[in-house]
Amino acid sequence: MSRAVTPQRKAFNTALAWLIGLLIFFPILWTVLTSFKTEAQAIADPPIWFNFNWTLENYFTVQERSNYFRHFWNSVVISVGSTVIGVAIAVPAAWAMAFVPGKQTKNLLMWMLSTKMLPPVGVLVPIYLIFRSVGLLDTKLGLVIVLTLINLPIIVWMLYTYFREIPVDILEAARMDGASLRNEVIYVLLPMAVPGIASTLLLNIILAWNEAFWTLNLTAAKAAPLTAFIASYSSPEGLFYAKLSAASTMAIAPILIMGWFSQKQLVRGLTFGAVK
Amino acid sequence: MATQHSRTAARLMISPSVLLLLCWMIVPLAMTVYFSTLRYNLLMPGSNPFVGWENYQYFLTDPAFLTALVNTLLLVGGVLIITVIGGILLGMLLDQPMWGQGIVRILVIAPFFVMPTVSALVWKNMFMNPVNGLFAYLAEFLGLQPFDFLSQAPLLSIIGIVSWQWLPFATLILLTAMQSLDQEQLEAAEMDGAGAFSRFIYIVLPHLSRAVTVVILIQTIFLLSVFAEILVTTNGGPGNASTNLTYLVYAESLLRFDVGTGSAGGVVAIVLANIVAIFLMRMIGKNLDA
Repeated sequence: MSRAVTPQRKAFNTALAWLIGLLIFFPILWTVLTSFKTEAQAIADPPIWFNFNWTLENYFTVQERSNYFRHFWNSVVISVGSTVIGVAIAVPAAWAMAFVPGKQTKNLLMWMLSTKMLPPVGVLVPIYLIFRSVGLLDTKLGLVIVLTLINLPIIVWMLYTYFREIPVDILEAARMDGASLRNEVIYVLLPMAVPGIASTLLLNIILAWNEAFWTLNLTAAKAAPLTAFIASYSSPEGLFYAKLSAASTMAIAPILIMGWFSQKQLVRGLTFGAVK
Repeated sequence: MATQHSRTAARLMISPSVLLLLCWMIVPLAMTVYFSTLRYNLLMPGSNPFVGWENYQYFLTDPAFLTALVNTLLLVGGVLIITVIGGILLGMLLDQPMWGQGIVRILVIAPFFVMPTVSALVWKNMFMNPVNGLFAYLAEFLGLQPFDFLSQAPLLSIIGIVSWQWLPFATLILLTAMQSLDQEQLEAAEMDGAGAFSRFIYIVLPHLSRAVTVVILIQTIFLLSVFAEILVTTNGGPGNASTNLTYLVYAESLLRFDVGTGSAGGVVAIVLANIVAIFLMRMIGKNLDA
């Protein structure tokens, strides 16, 4: 699909694109580099690029002082937990809407989407008060519940757009060949649905991992995931650049890697199938 | 193939999702509306008398509301202008033949995966800090005075940070849309003597209009609710200089514990978001029929 261009033109494109790409990526690169410096090197004037004594000390300090791993684990439980539960609830719904569409299917889908348009701050007060009265404030369970609900519409939508692409004819063919409904689901539909389900899981873990409204407002020291834990560095603590960088690097590394694998699903999932 | 039997099964399969979302939507929403009519402060326990529109009157006439509304519009508008124009230019560049395209793409979309609190704090401390930030070094190197971004231009600084987070999203969507553009059409136009500029205006831009609309609408939904970036950088200040509507409602409810006024603000935020949502839903709904 790319047109033939002169080598000079291609070289120019390459140089410009790499320059811009590196500029955009630079804050992340700088954070990762700083995390391996000492505090003094981190604020050295002029800034030090690569020529410093690489150290892992900050990573250990962050863990010792604030039990970093606990917050990391909170993030894992909350993001994976809410996604898995959400997908478990959404698969049957998306399945039914894709394969047994009724007159109301479209309205139902649109209504589900509309719940996603509700600004979180509009329901902050009641959720906060309900959570306070039933003891769900600052618990992982509370956040799993909220994040499951806020991401459920996206999960249903993503699964629906994937399931809709599964050809129904193949089911009829299987039935002609004498497959029972059970076998039809297990041997014919499921293998075709797995990639869609996997992409949905991936994208939603990313969204839940980075969610920073409810996690900040509903947690304190105990259940705080990384989003809320890192926010505590907004106090003077954040001026310890090397430690801030170490904490940040660990918080973004796993999701950055997952994100790079999910580029395509990202477009589809976040535009609700409006751009493919 | 849909029999009566399978219809019933389908309903059963759909109902858990619907019921959960229904509860999630209706219960808190009804409570917000209800609270917004009460004089209700968590610091003053006791009866919470019905006061009608008083909270709305208080919230809407508070000068902080107008500031927050203007800030919200500036924040959303500023980020949209930067990311949409930047996204179109960057998308066009990435659509060209080059070496290492895949890697450049990975570099460009990376900021989208950085959690808001991390990106805000990294920018605040390591770049915008007037003493030790990289921008201060750069200013010094160029012989300029260091600039205290977050106290002298708080809203603009936040617009910059949020744009950095959303530029990858816009670029990725617009690039995807560009890749579906028929190259032969462009070549034909070129042969007919259309210059690069008119090819862009008459062919590329109309092709992108749909994707641009989707980017604008989806980003608006998220940008209306920017919160973490403000919380960790400026706390809405100095004064109210970087307070948006979301942050103002948060401050009323969870900092001043004024549930009544906070709820009234929440309702106002919902109404504003719905105006955008209606347009977005229409776009997506149209696509569902196609």
